[in-house]
Amino acid sequence: MSNIEKVFKNLKKENKKALITYSVAGDPDLKSSEKIIRNFILEGVDIIEVGVPFSDPMAEGPSIQLGHERALKNKISLLDIMQMCLNIKNDHPNTPLVLMGYMNNFLSLKENLFDELKKNKIDGLIIVDLPYVESNEFLKKLNEKDIDLIRLISPTTTKERIDKILASSSGYLYYISLKGVTGSELKISDELENRVLEIKKQTKLPVVVGFGIKDAKTAKKMSLCSDGVVVGSKLVDEIGSFNPNKENILNQNLTSIISELKEGIS
Amino acid sequence: MSKENYDFPDKDGRFGEFGGKYVSETLISALDELECTYEEVKKDKSFLAEVKNDLETFVGRPSPLYYAQRWTENLGGAKIYLKREDLNHTGAHKINNTVGQVLLAKKMGKKRIIAETGAGQHGVATAAVAARHGLECIIFMGEEDIERQSPNVYRMKLLGATVCTVNSGTKTLKDAMNEAMRDWVTNVDDTHYIIGSVAGPHPYPQIVRDFNSIVGIELKDQSRDLFGRYPDKIIACVGGGSNAMGIFYPFLKDNSVDLIGVEAGGSGVDSGMHAAPLSDGSIGVLHGMKTYLMQDQEGQILSTHSVSAGLDYPGVGPEHSYLRDSGRVVYEAATDEEALDSFHDLTKTEGIMPALETAHALAYVKKIAPDLDKEEILVVNLSGRGDKDMANVAKVEGLTL
Repeated sequence: MSNIEKVFKNLKKENKKALITYSVAGDPDLKSSEKIIRNFILEGVDIIEVGVPFSDPMAEGPSIQLGHERALKNKISLLDIMQMCLNIKNDHPNTPLVLMGYMNNFLSLKENLFDELKKNKIDGLIIVDLPYVESNEFLKKLNEKDIDLIRLISPTTTKERIDKILASSSGYLYYISLKGVTGSELKISDELENRVLEIKKQTKLPVVVGFGIKDAKTAKKMSLCSDGVVVGSKLVDEIGSFNPNKENILNQNLTSIISELKEGIS
Repeated sequence: MSKENYDFPDKDGRFGEFGGKYVSETLISALDELECTYEEVKKDKSFLAEVKNDLETFVGRPSPLYYAQRWTENLGGAKIYLKREDLNHTGAHKINNTVGQVLLAKKMGKKRIIAETGAGQHGVATAAVAARHGLECIIFMGEEDIERQSPNVYRMKLLGATVCTVNSGTKTLKDAMNEAMRDWVTNVDDTHYIIGSVAGPHPYPQIVRDFNSIVGIELKDQSRDLFGRYPDKIIACVGGGSNAMGIFYPFLKDNSVDLIGVEAGGSGVDSGMHAAPLSDGSIGVLHGMKTYLMQDQEGQILSTHSVSAGLDYPGVGPEHSYLRDSGRVVYEAATDEEALDSFHDLTKTEGIMPALETAHALAYVKKIAPDLDKEEILVVNLSGRGDKDMANVAKVEGLTL
């Protein structure tokens, strides 16, 4: 059983929902981003999405774009990021670490990518600009290494496509709550909740909801119809206020955001 | 590949290994809708008649094939002809595509048009068709380009478009395209995104090529009438590659015609300061397509350099990548300096001021024409007029207007 499966299985036993965080590797620098993630894990975050910074992050709103820009100033590489993940894994082997990014950065490692992912104990990948029609070959190689390719489903995905996406998914499904970029304003509606419930009926995989979830109230609402929520922009905004002399304050602020969210969804 | 069987893109939107649809899931349904609608209208006689009528009465087609006699004599070699896309309404080939795409948008019931622009030519061509059809129009343009192309910015505003300044990344064309994609994903229900080049996810490279191929189709007729044969060489500048694809495409199966694309060599291809991914790039994925890109070893997109805003793009249409690898089209590069030089040459000897983009194609002609036989016929796609570049040329040469 994969780490991701175990996490959802245990949560289900306790009738709990997953809290998933997204932060950008290397933002504000690699060491600090490692500390931030370690802190998330200690605060009880269930799954960590590690953003791989890209020069052209097309699907991101202003908050996460800035996070990518800050990280790229430090000239970090994908291998550095995976090394950071391995460091964390050595202390927290059961917490799933999922790399989330854009195709071009993953392609840069060519065939070495798959061995490196395995070697550095990466549990899954989310590739924003890799829809299922383009992913056959990639998926095969990830499956050979037991690494999950986590798929996205959006408000515009047709029923026919959902079936196809489900057929080639593993780990969990990421439902994009809104038409827009990350960090947009989310308006919760019956339609949104029904759609998540509808998708849940079609699959045994856990379904989590992301985009626009910034407070405990929204997190709670979205967790009721799903298996968990992803929070990104809210955290990356906070990380943007990083001051090297007040690193502890940043982590205290992040801790209070996390505990509020945890309370909301439990 | 047998060139006689050239039939791309395939059903997955690929040109060999290039192209595809690398976009976020939210945009897939919009691309599918566009593809279906396009397949339908391609066979719809009344739609095609409407496009034809607009090209004739709104754009002013066909564009003439002009013999550049004095320039030919000065260079002393092959005969040089210019396909005068600069004479189109709004001053460039870009309008051939926007005239068609706006009708597609109406067919799909979209009320809002968005577009990216670099030099501003595509922005102006989009704003003009949106005005004519009474559609809301938003143009995304990098901050740096807004500075170098201010007359076009004002032109777009006069045409009723909203111009959104893009401050992210390198503040040029690629970032304008990122921002347009972000707008599209947000307003996907009522918005059509008119991409201005043969770039982006499928079906854009095909649609933009097809609408621009009127240039090559006309050239075929004109050269039969004028020379009784096809030209020996056709030369066009390549940024994203829409004017080149438009003039090359109808000739791909005519192997006697040499096709040459000229990229922006900036300060020189060896200097790294350029915008020539086909000459000095590697394969990657950006803006929904697999293609040659200017990128570092980590897959981060590099900032490009060119004196011409319209060529200042780190990628290139996927069909060009395919044609490069198959060898059917040869790609060269011209530097900023060579382009500026040819800009002046053509203006002074022929009384035609070319766009700085187009001047790159002219620079290559200047290099090869003197050594070619006087019976050889070269055709340059004179893709746009240069009025928009006057302030920029003056600035580069240290003059104030």
